[in-house]
Amino acid sequence: MWKIIKNEWLYYSRTRWLFGISIGFVLVLLLSVLLGNYQTKNQSVQYKLAQDELRAKWENLKPMNPHRAAHYGTYIFKPVNLLNSLDDGVSAVTGNVLRVEGHVQNEIVHSEASQMQVVSKFGKLKSALLLQYIVPVLLIFLAFSSVSNERQSGRFKLLLLQGSSPQKLILAKSLSVWLYGVALLSISIVTYALFNLQEINAALIERTALFFLSYALYYFIISALTAFFTARWQKSTLALTTMLGLWIVWTIFLPNIAMSTVEQLHDLPSRNTLKADMKEDRSKGLDGHNPADERKEELEASVLEEYGVDSLSQLPINFDGLVMQADEEYGNKVWDKHFGKLREVLSQQKQAYQYGGLLDPFISLQNASMGFAASDNLHHQDFLVKVEDYRRMFIKMLNDEHAYGGSKTGDWSWAADNDFFKSVPDFTYELSSAKSILPRYFMDLLLLSAWTLVTILLILFGTKKMQNI
Amino acid sequence: MKSLTIFLYEWKHFYRSPFKVIALILFIIAAAYGLHNGSELYTTQHKEIEQILEDVEAEKDKYLALYEKGEYALEDRPWIDISTPYWAIWATPTYYLKKPSPAMVYSIGQAEQYGFYKKISVRSSPYDSDMAAEIANPERLQIGTLDFSFSLLFLLPLLLLILLYNLRSTEAEQGFLPLVEVQTASKNSWLLSRLAFYVVLCFISLLALLLYGASLTGVFENGINAFVQMALLSSTYLLFWSFVYYLILRKGKSILGNTLQMIGLWMIFTFIIPAVVHQGISILKPVNLMTDFIDAERDQRWELYDQADSVIIAELLDLYPSIEQTPVFTDETKIGFARSRSIFALANELKRSSIQEVEAENKLKNDFIESSFWYNPLSFFQNKVNRITETHYDDYHEQRKAIQALVDKRLDALLDGLWNDVAVDKATYEKYYEQLAELE
Repeated sequence: MWKIIKNEWLYYSRTRWLFGISIGFVLVLLLSVLLGNYQTKNQSVQYKLAQDELRAKWENLKPMNPHRAAHYGTYIFKPVNLLNSLDDGVSAVTGNVLRVEGHVQNEIVHSEASQMQVVSKFGKLKSALLLQYIVPVLLIFLAFSSVSNERQSGRFKLLLLQGSSPQKLILAKSLSVWLYGVALLSISIVTYALFNLQEINAALIERTALFFLSYALYYFIISALTAFFTARWQKSTLALTTMLGLWIVWTIFLPNIAMSTVEQLHDLPSRNTLKADMKEDRSKGLDGHNPADERKEELEASVLEEYGVDSLSQLPINFDGLVMQADEEYGNKVWDKHFGKLREVLSQQKQAYQYGGLLDPFISLQNASMGFAASDNLHHQDFLVKVEDYRRMFIKMLNDEHAYGGSKTGDWSWAADNDFFKSVPDFTYELSSAKSILPRYFMDLLLLSAWTLVTILLILFGTKKMQNI
Repeated sequence: MKSLTIFLYEWKHFYRSPFKVIALILFIIAAAYGLHNGSELYTTQHKEIEQILEDVEAEKDKYLALYEKGEYALEDRPWIDISTPYWAIWATPTYYLKKPSPAMVYSIGQAEQYGFYKKISVRSSPYDSDMAAEIANPERLQIGTLDFSFSLLFLLPLLLLILLYNLRSTEAEQGFLPLVEVQTASKNSWLLSRLAFYVVLCFISLLALLLYGASLTGVFENGINAFVQMALLSSTYLLFWSFVYYLILRKGKSILGNTLQMIGLWMIFTFIIPAVVHQGISILKPVNLMTDFIDAERDQRWELYDQADSVIIAELLDLYPSIEQTPVFTDETKIGFARSRSIFALANELKRSSIQEVEAENKLKNDFIESSFWYNPLSFFQNKVNRITETHYDDYHEQRKAIQALVDKRLDALLDGLWNDVAVDKATYEKYYEQLAELE
């Protein structure tokens, strides 16, 4: 088999049109990595500048009442990571700025897509665009031409007469084409690694390796299926049109239909309904029978008892801070209930969409690609949860300062000093390790592997008795 | 053989090719599915707006009942006095509602990237966080909804490719071309007649789909303009791709070569060029993180409250010179309240100027995109469709302008009421309700 592959590569190198296309392709791939990397780093600098500017403002706050500072709040900008230069995922359509303040869990706003008219339906010129959409088409043509040339020239018959088995031949042809795709993939990844040598860490390497694996599996499916159809069907152009048709259905058609369908299966609430429900729960209590005033009275009684005093003015602390924190914690329960439901629906949609990989390996590839590049919705939701955790810590620190910082109940003029504001930690977001996210994309990898196995079995059993290829 | 005969004979070629028939059927199914997606979004938005209008009406009635009873304080918030202009305007429910065009059935465009309603208050701005897009799965937004425009712009060229890929090249491969020349006198007119058949077939399919779409949302209720424009644009787009493919076919000698060239060109126009332009914009004009707006909305606004009274008055007089002639201006007991509430107008000015910068930057991005249209036909056609269906960036730009106008109007009414010490009764409230929702 190795000899066939070697011969095949020799043929590729001697075929002028393929050589020309390959050179062009490699240049476009390099350009995509270069531009993608430059854009990501440029964006990263912008984010850092904005974040530093906002942090500096917070650290330079003059003495201020902590609750006022909670209303002043801060802003978090969604960071980009190096892997975004490979696959941008949902970054362009999600917002970039999130306001962190007391009383409310805000939504992320100001997406890139909302700042201009439509340019590209399939995103920026990043490696993923070429690797997902363009390279497979090239592999289809290559696999088709490789097998049909052998058939038309009669070399296949010759090879069979010499004792080669049809399975071995088709498998070798598939592997040759697959290796060509893997070579293009490797060029992208290696160039990307070279550009980012200084910033590479374990998480990045693991994720990139899984990214590589997903594409490698998909390329095998495409190469092997095309080789199989071309060998199996008498009319070779039928094999080409079928594969192109399949590519269209897999790449353009099914992902759209599957996504629209899962969104209909697992319905998201409208913003208006969500807001109204949260408002209702916030004012009347989660059970509808525990309004804010009653909750406040209960808290007051328990605090007075705890400190062994009869009135709020006798308390050594500022009761207002406790009330605000209690209200905040109550609000958190409301946000958790409603935003939690929202995340649950989104997660159900994701899972249902992942099952689409049973019919369409491109769906699995797209999920895995975005997932390992940390740019899919699961990562976006993870970022939002981390920001909300930060908001809760941030507001609790301010409320605690209000309660225990030295002021008495009702004293709204009391101000925390600048050192306190400086002591409130800044938000940081770290890319999670591949190990921690692997279970989320296990299904995609599994389906890609299953498809690979199916194509191998197709070749092994579907070409076994072929005599007249 | 006459051109008409060739044209008619092509029908046999077509229906004897199951692959082509299936491709056409699939295209029609996808386009119809897309029309339903567009229609569904139209209905959802329509229903949401109806619901908001109902809520607004109920809220208005609640306050009108209070005015009728002569009760000006709210039960759960006794500090609110709706007989004062500030609280009366606060209690006047006003929304900006971007009613979807029935033509949305043809293209969802950018409709899912923006909010389509906004509650207006004296603190509002077109870039508030409640202007975030309707809740949707970001991965679906990124993949894109399969709407009619998607079928038209991305699938139609593929359908044409499938219908045309073997025209002439089959005969060339089988050595029939000289025979064709003998029978038809001109290979070109023979090819054109065959191509014309498929163009007509696609045109009829498109027209039928457009009519079907129109029936889903009542496109004709607003006149025939949108329909005619869509039909013209679809035809132009169909002709554009037919011409491009014709250039390949007339020189094509093999099916493989033709297909490779056609799909290559489709990929260049569909993926590569738009992606390069998009990447170019992201590098030249990275996403705006709105730091200037944040600065105006938060820091500068907060600083207003720390300014000396005389500075605030001077700034107010710059904006509203007429307040100098009002009774409150010389009333020591009332000027403090009017001045503090008028700060909203100053904050509005700060936000407005920062928004102008944001819009100017967005305009640069849009100019860059438009300058690419001559070599980027996909984006050109997509944005043309979005304009027809009122789901274009500019439509949402207009929405932001309208929101700003409503905020300005509200502030004008507030300052007028505050400085003229208006006592709000039922009639005044009704006047507020009527006036504050209307755009001039």
